[in-house]
Amino acid sequence: MSAELLYPPPQISPADSLRLSQQAPQVLKISVSSSLPYPLSLLTSSETPEIWTTIENLLLSCLRTGDDKSARVCLDRLTERFGETNEKILVLRGMYQEAFAEDNKALEKSLERYDKILEEDSTLMLVRKRRAALLKSMSRPTNAITTLVDLLDVSPTDVEAWAELSELYFAQSLYSQAIYCLEEVLLITPNAWSVHARLGEILYISSPSDSNSLKGLVESMRRFCRSIELCDDYLRGYYGLKVSTKRLLSELQTVSKSALSDPQNGDLAPPSVKTVEKLNEAATRKLAEIVRRSTAGEAGWEGFDPAEVHATRELVNKDTQTIDR
Amino acid sequence: MGFTSNLFNLVGLVLLGHAVYSAHEHSSQNPLHLPSSPPSFSPLTTPTSTTSLPTDIVLETLFSVLLISTGIVLGSSSLRPIQWSKWAGQLEREERVKKSVKEIREGTGNPYRILEERPGFVDVRGKRKEFMEWVRKGDDLAAK
Repeated sequence: MSAELLYPPPQISPADSLRLSQQAPQVLKISVSSSLPYPLSLLTSSETPEIWTTIENLLLSCLRTGDDKSARVCLDRLTERFGETNEKILVLRGMYQEAFAEDNKALEKSLERYDKILEEDSTLMLVRKRRAALLKSMSRPTNAITTLVDLLDVSPTDVEAWAELSELYFAQSLYSQAIYCLEEVLLITPNAWSVHARLGEILYISSPSDSNSLKGLVESMRRFCRSIELCDDYLRGYYGLKVSTKRLLSELQTVSKSALSDPQNGDLAPPSVKTVEKLNEAATRKLAEIVRRSTAGEAGWEGFDPAEVHATRELVNKDTQTIDR
Repeated sequence: MGFTSNLFNLVGLVLLGHAVYSAHEHSSQNPLHLPSSPPSFSPLTTPTSTTSLPTDIVLETLFSVLLISTGIVLGSSSLRPIQWSKWAGQLEREERVKKSVKEIREGTGNPYRILEERPGFVDVRGKRKEFMEWVRKGDDLAAK
């Protein structure tokens, strides 16, 4: 059994998903059912939870690459095992139908099907989420947002839905709402380093380029610092710290002293220029180290995303060039 | 490591079995002299040192237990970091490194990946379109 299908790498590329879906014949060959009658079959069956996760992931990558025949076989096997009324099977079946929808009419039909399921049982959270996802992919973000807000009214501890809602707001450039949603996520999972980094990114993007952006930039810098504190050698956090401190340095030089203690700039006083400079230096040093070591392929440093490392090298090089001049 | 720990465990178990057997034999050869009077709980009636186990059996038992413990410690998987930041950093770096099924079963994945990927909200059609684009681009490159 392939371990890659069981736990696929993050942000899977088209080439990777093609490779994954090409494993379909081997995976589907595995038979878990036993030929013996009921009580004995429990002893001889080779069924594990992993096999079903594998088949589900296989179904998703087959849907992505357009291997419709294998996708159908996966779906049939899952349905045979878990029954048609299982919540997850309902969602997978819906995804299968969505993938084949040719036009808007077929999509509307999918939507109606979800509505019908929810009419019978409105507690099926997975189906409700799926419905929001379909609305988003039909380019109806307003409806998707309303659906998600309703869902979160019922289940306010659903971090996945909060994170999705934040992205939806972000796509509509409603930054303060997006930030609020991510803060809700952090209330539930306060140690999620990736959420701290994402919050820093949104704060950085949302702070306007005129002079009163100080509060957002300072907050963004603090978020990046927290993400680095929670996760050693976090490339995304250091990258953000470098970018935000660089902009903050130029802002701090233009701002007058009296504005620094202005309560408009946040509850906490902004850091001194010296601190920000130190942070900037530390981030630059760390980024250069990560680029050097991961390009050299040192042991323990090979796990970084090559594209991210490349972007970091560009950033560091650009910075050193301006200093040279 | 696997071979050494297995060897230690095996030798330790054989020695422990031998020690237990010897102790049993020894006690059946030299039965305890029970007092004829009904047992009283004063310290005077405890068996004297003449009936205790010989030193070699005691040493063998201790040695075998030590051997088994060493074998188990050597054979166990490497320890995971207990500091949050170290653990998180290791996770982030190992996310792209291939793992075995056993490691996945032990649950070494990133618990916060769900917040970035949100599997409940996968955009099936978008992913499909993206893949088609990728194939078309590859075809164009091949045609050139």
